[in-house]
Amino acid sequence: MPDVQPIIRFENVVKTFPGNITVLDNINIVFQPGEFVSLVGASGAGKSTLLKLIYAEEVPTQGEVYFSERPVGKINRKHLPFFRRNIGTVFQDYKLLPQRTAFENVAYALEVDGRSTAEINEEVPEILEIVGLGDKMHKFPKQLSGGEQQRVSLARALIHRPKVIIADEPTGNLDPVSADEIIQLLLEINSFGTTVLLATHNKGIVDKIGKRVVLLSKGQVIHDQNKGKYILS
Amino acid sequence: MQMLKLWRTFKEGKENFIRNGWLTFATVSILSLSLFIVSLSFLLGMTSQLILQNMREKVSVSVSFNPDVTEEKIFAIQKELMTYKKEIASVEYVSRDAALTQFLAESGNDPTIAQAIKEIGENPLFASLVIRAVKPDDYPLIVSEIQKSTFQNDISRINYEKNKKIFERLDRINKMTGKTGLALGAIFIFVAILITFNTIRITIYSHRQEFEVMRLVGASNIYVRMPFIFEGALYGLVAVLVTIILLYGIAYYIAPFTNGAMAQGNFMDLYLNYFWYLFGGLSLLGVTLGVVSSAIAIRRYLKV
Repeated sequence: MPDVQPIIRFENVVKTFPGNITVLDNINIVFQPGEFVSLVGASGAGKSTLLKLIYAEEVPTQGEVYFSERPVGKINRKHLPFFRRNIGTVFQDYKLLPQRTAFENVAYALEVDGRSTAEINEEVPEILEIVGLGDKMHKFPKQLSGGEQQRVSLARALIHRPKVIIADEPTGNLDPVSADEIIQLLLEINSFGTTVLLATHNKGIVDKIGKRVVLLSKGQVIHDQNKGKYILS
Repeated sequence: MQMLKLWRTFKEGKENFIRNGWLTFATVSILSLSLFIVSLSFLLGMTSQLILQNMREKVSVSVSFNPDVTEEKIFAIQKELMTYKKEIASVEYVSRDAALTQFLAESGNDPTIAQAIKEIGENPLFASLVIRAVKPDDYPLIVSEIQKSTFQNDISRINYEKNKKIFERLDRINKMTGKTGLALGAIFIFVAILITFNTIRITIYSHRQEFEVMRLVGASNIYVRMPFIFEGALYGLVAVLVTIILLYGIAYYIAPFTNGAMAQGNFMDLYLNYFWYLFGGLSLLGVTLGVVSSAIAIRRYLKV
């Protein structure tokens, strides 16, 4: 897809942390709309930092990250919350609000947008139904299993109909069956055209997906393969 | 849409308030205690001020006459004194017999004292005029005028010197309670601000991971912050209600001891008279404390 405008583009990106620790070293990579990309590599390879640069949780030390050709680093801090509504995020630790039910957790993402209660009451159950939690909407996170919590988190990521879903080790805390269900959901979301970036070090999962694989090691991209497998560096 | 968001953040603040359980309890308790101490020291200071003022107003000068002065003469003097309406509020005649009954009553109708007086054979007390000034400050002037008057030779004694000392003492106490009350109040308010601030900070600290989540799903800073501002205001309001109830309890117990000690009645009357001022002042203080503490505390954890 060479003529399509890339959804995300890294241009000579370097990220160093205090103490002169280089986490990302001259990254140049392009993600196209609708792609499903598995980011693999050992712990500390720089996967999470690379993802954080996309949703502007971190700022590059050098170079620039573009989202729809818009430089992320130059977004006014005031406008960050609005920018982030373009990106759905899912994490290993689910990051749910513990004092809210599944419904309320998903609804929150719409509330902050100022959507009407009627809209919320219509859309939230719909999306929870899609991730298979229609009957557990009013449970609190601690009353749900890990896999169910991750599905709530996924529902929340989807509610804004984002262009990109970023999943950072979403299966890290899950048993193989739940992990598989989450990956299936991500694939399904991807099939509707949403770009999915999945960071993981689970070889079995990556091999099963059979889509683009980017291997990071010591802050550098050392492999980038379409329909790839997890190659041990 | 802004109103909807405002309403939602208020609702969320209210829910945090309810769901926080013991943290809410701790914060409200501390805030109530601080407000209670501040308002109680204020009320007690005011009470002592009023009691002292009342005592000053009750003070009088009594002029005793030699036993050979006739009642008619004393009545004439009384009449003359009454003409100084600007300075003198009242002049009351106490006859020798009345003075004796009063003295016996004041000594608790002690039979040995009654016996002793009987043995003397005659009433040892003098007839007197009890003079009350319009303003307590005028006593020195009144006394000096009486001492220079035409009837100065009929006077046995003016008990002003003794009273003068009481006046001076009252003045000293008055000034001291005023100063200590002010100093104590200031210290307590300062401590209250520190404690409230820290308690609310702990509450917010327990939420700090949620801020990250809220921002990740696209909540603006103000949207994350508003519920905590409302929560702080609620802490303040509930604490004010608790304080008002506590003060009522205290007023109920203190009231009997202050009966008639001040012109306004007793402590409870004072509380009820000034209820709305007290409520307004406390609300302002409590809500400001809650909101300011929240606003400062949240800044620390809301680095964007």
